[in-house]
Amino acid sequence: MNRDWADICGGAVLALLGLGVAINAGLRLDFGTLRAMGPGFFPTVLGAMLALLGAGVAVPAWRRGAKPVTIRWGDAAAVIAAILIFGLGMSRLGVVLACFLAVLIASLPAPHPGWRWRLVLACAVTVLTYIVFILGLRMSLPVWPRLP
Amino acid sequence: MSAWEGILYGFGVALQPAVLVYCLLGVTLGTFIGVLPGIGAMAAISLLLPITFYITPEAALIMLAGVYYGAQYGGAVASILLRLPGTPQSAVTTLDGYPMAQQGRAGVALFTSMISSFIGSILGIVVLVVLAGWLSRAATAFGAADYAAMMILGLVAASTIGAERPMKGFAMVVFGMILGCIGTDVNSGAQRFTFGQTELMDGINLVALAMGLFGVAEVIGNIRNAERQAAPEPVSLRQMMPTRDDLRRIPFPALRGTALGSFFGALPGTGSTLSSFLAYAMERRVSRSPERFGKGAVEGVAGPEAANNAAAITAFVPTLTLGIPGDPIMALMLGALVIHGVQPGPLMLEARPEMFWGLVVSFGIGNLLLLILNLPLIGIWVSMLRIPFRYLYPAILIFVCLGVYSVRGASFDIAAVALIGMAGYLLALARFSPALLLLGFVLGPLIETNLRRAMLISRGDPMVFLERPIACGFTIATAALILVSIWQAWRRHVSKAEEGK
Repeated sequence: MNRDWADICGGAVLALLGLGVAINAGLRLDFGTLRAMGPGFFPTVLGAMLALLGAGVAVPAWRRGAKPVTIRWGDAAAVIAAILIFGLGMSRLGVVLACFLAVLIASLPAPHPGWRWRLVLACAVTVLTYIVFILGLRMSLPVWPRLP
Repeated sequence: MSAWEGILYGFGVALQPAVLVYCLLGVTLGTFIGVLPGIGAMAAISLLLPITFYITPEAALIMLAGVYYGAQYGGAVASILLRLPGTPQSAVTTLDGYPMAQQGRAGVALFTSMISSFIGSILGIVVLVVLAGWLSRAATAFGAADYAAMMILGLVAASTIGAERPMKGFAMVVFGMILGCIGTDVNSGAQRFTFGQTELMDGINLVALAMGLFGVAEVIGNIRNAERQAAPEPVSLRQMMPTRDDLRRIPFPALRGTALGSFFGALPGTGSTLSSFLAYAMERRVSRSPERFGKGAVEGVAGPEAANNAAAITAFVPTLTLGIPGDPIMALMLGALVIHGVQPGPLMLEARPEMFWGLVVSFGIGNLLLLILNLPLIGIWVSMLRIPFRYLYPAILIFVCLGVYSVRGASFDIAAVALIGMAGYLLALARFSPALLLLGFVLGPLIETNLRRAMLISRGDPMVFLERPIACGFTIATAALILVSIWQAWRRHVSKAEEGK
């Protein structure tokens, strides 16, 4: 069925999130009074508002058609994987190796065939990163892989 | 300090060699970022934030501001030559700029956009000086309730004016405010939504949020889109010479655009993107020959370009005089200032005159530099459009990671950027505005603080929002905006139902 799935799913997720926030804040944090608001006042009210707004977005969208949206999971996965490898691997692998790997992975979804340009690009970005952040800004980061 | 003394004093700050260099660096980088489709000023400013830790606060502010208004100049280049907006603010320039390029008048379109941008900026500076002086005096009368009411008005204005589905905008604002609650509650010290993570006790890192929502999400969305571009024709300086008829058509649209842009730029919540669309609509309405629009009308380039540049300058009014950022980019600037220990607000004009007047004068210098950079060197910028996006985005990702890491040296923040980037990509696909989320995130804690203070002072009586004249004005405006948007939605519904019959 050609419904506005973007708004239905988006609205539903936001509504559930709002409900969760409101319940969590309502149970765990002190609500206080209007005069002396506790830490729970603002989140509870906001959570309830988000739940209503999310429902307000999702419900009318059910009866409305819209162009389907294509999510490029592959592109997203490559970019996210590149960031995680760089961010979490930096301390073990060192900036140089982590950067090289991350650029290689990030370049995978680019719609241009061939391996050579990917390797050259990975080398170029790694050198640039080394010059700017290690030599230029003197960030204290492990440069080379640490042996166990 | 009178305006003239201030400007003289500002020259002393802005003409220091080091500051000049950072100003040049900022506007050059801004133009570069603006020219390239796929990355915006937001991502560029968040990338530069770590560098600003190494320089003086006034140089930092001047450089970041240069990136912001420099991107407004550069954004028009890709819009005109390729019909790909380099920045969201210049999207409307494609409507008439691209047809002009197809008629072989790309040079004239570029000249029109540069000169209108310059007019908009220079007049915007005058408006900034006048409004900031007036507002910082008026702001001493502002109480907590007035601040809260004004920020709520800003958020409501941002999500309703010109929006197709205001409900989605509201939802994003509220979502952003909830994210802003995460961390230690300032009043009571209670932990809110930290789930035992020590990294979350200070809240979500603003830089991580901005880079994830704008840097990473934009990269994912553009890997395929930005690649599909034909190389533009080279443009020479001679082709930029306008005819006498063109010259006659530039000034009035530019002036009208400036007026619109100055107003909406200074209003928190609405900004340069909105004002450029409104300026285009206005030009088409006042034109004696509206049928020319969309087919290469000079006015359709001049008005919006003047408007978005004027708005980029006057956006600093609420940021610097009230400490309230009007758009996400201003929120980042404010964040940068706070990191440097400078608290913008009504007292800043007196307490830190070098910041304000230095910035004002640097606007003038920066815009002159931009005119010099853009008119004779336009060929260089056009050839930049030939760099394929696939060579750029992996480097952007690495810079994003190291930029976020450098703020407080936490790998946690890099992982957070990955998660936020994924969420931002999905949100943008479903047309939920990430800019509004960020605005809510920044203004949320400020609203909460002022709301709690206001209710404490009024002893729990919410009528304070109607009793204080300033707050009352803002509250009425907020209510009016909400009513208008409900009325519009209802009218749309009715007209659709009639179509159905």
